[in-house]
Amino acid sequence: MSYTFQFGQVTPYLGTLAAGAWLSLQIAAIAFVAGFVIGLVCASLLQYGGPIVRRVVRAYVVFFLNTPLLVQVFFIYFAMPDFGIVLDSFTAVTIGMALNAGAYLTEIQRAGFASIRRAEVDAAEAMGFSRIQIIRYVVLPHIVRVLYPALSNQYIILTMTTSIAAIFGVEELTGRAYNINAQTFRSLEIFSIVAVYYIVLTIVASAALYALGRYAFRIKGRIA
Amino acid sequence: MLQTLTDEAPRFFGYYNLLFLGRAFLYTAALSLVGCGIGFLAGFGLAVLRHPRLTPFAPARWLATLYVEIFRRIPFLVLLMCVFFALQLLVPDISMFTIAAMTVALSAAAYSAENVRAGLEGIHRNQWDAAETMNMGGLKALRLVVLPQAWSIIIPPSMTYSVGLVKSTSIASQIGVVELTYAAKVLNTKGFSAAISFGTILVLYFVLCYGLNTFASYLERRLGRRRPGKPIRSALVPASQTV
Repeated sequence: MSYTFQFGQVTPYLGTLAAGAWLSLQIAAIAFVAGFVIGLVCASLLQYGGPIVRRVVRAYVVFFLNTPLLVQVFFIYFAMPDFGIVLDSFTAVTIGMALNAGAYLTEIQRAGFASIRRAEVDAAEAMGFSRIQIIRYVVLPHIVRVLYPALSNQYIILTMTTSIAAIFGVEELTGRAYNINAQTFRSLEIFSIVAVYYIVLTIVASAALYALGRYAFRIKGRIA
Repeated sequence: MLQTLTDEAPRFFGYYNLLFLGRAFLYTAALSLVGCGIGFLAGFGLAVLRHPRLTPFAPARWLATLYVEIFRRIPFLVLLMCVFFALQLLVPDISMFTIAAMTVALSAAAYSAENVRAGLEGIHRNQWDAAETMNMGGLKALRLVVLPQAWSIIIPPSMTYSVGLVKSTSIASQIGVVELTYAAKVLNTKGFSAAISFGTILVLYFVLCYGLNTFASYLERRLGRRRPGKPIRSALVPASQTV
């Protein structure tokens, strides 16, 4: 084995990679917000919906939790056009990630619904709150506070998950690494640098979320 | 569209395609099993290395922690690419299956180490002290006193985590391991519609993962007699997820 590492050929691309990392964070943020809304709606339906609605929601959650995200996105990207829905790769990946994250976030928020004290809901009902108002003014503040560490972890996991967008040609961090690899053929250098990018990215994101949690919610929980 | 699906279904579920899909299914299962098995053993070793009672030598603990912290933060795809290019350099004629299995193992080691650590931490320190008073060495205390109590905390999350890894193995299709996802891509290229190719493997993955998850929750209920003392920290957090 005689391989000489030549990081010099790769350093000009560090900026390009950083821009890709920014895109990764954005995709993760979009998927997280969409997934959070899906999760909140589904968790509310599980809590208050009728038996059929509950069953449909459970089916959605169980299906998405038990199949790989990659194959889900493959299906959305390649099979949906057969049904007349043509999406570009960015949209397909984001929708896939949102639906996938939605399933996980439903599970998380269901735990949040379960942990609300009955008396709080009763009090809100006595005040004449509607279901929507209860969710908005009682459940949501509770969930955001209690589940903050779990939700933060989910965001960080999503940041790493965005790497599969590269498979569909989205130019986020890993996607750009693929391109640079095709241009320079310094594969090991590129992918080890990208690994470092992801490590730094997740550490920075954890630290930021931890600081936000401390500042906004006085939460001291550990964020992975 | 439905018309096309029903038209191609008999041809799609022909003998040779089923054989091909069956083999691919076994590859996915084997990849997960080998990777998780090696990964769990390695992760167990890492957890032992990280434990102050078992490893008094601090730098070893730091290294183990460093490994866990690093490998948990690299996406599976990127890790796969690193292992792929590094191993091809070191061992030119290595099989793609070995590369993928090693990636699964490297990633599983880091996550398992966390699960095992949570299990070991769930045991009250008095148990360690008592074992020490009985003149047991660290490893003997681990084997005879701590582990018998810790298994019930370690196994359920590890099982759920393994299901996550089964899903991650779909990414191994990127380097050409003929597992389920790759098989679907091949069938799609052969002219079958994407809906039926990917739809079928979605169902197959679902069967595999749902079966394993059901088994995991059965185990959790069986082992669930949680001991008094520290509650499990991650009760609200869903079982560790892979990327």
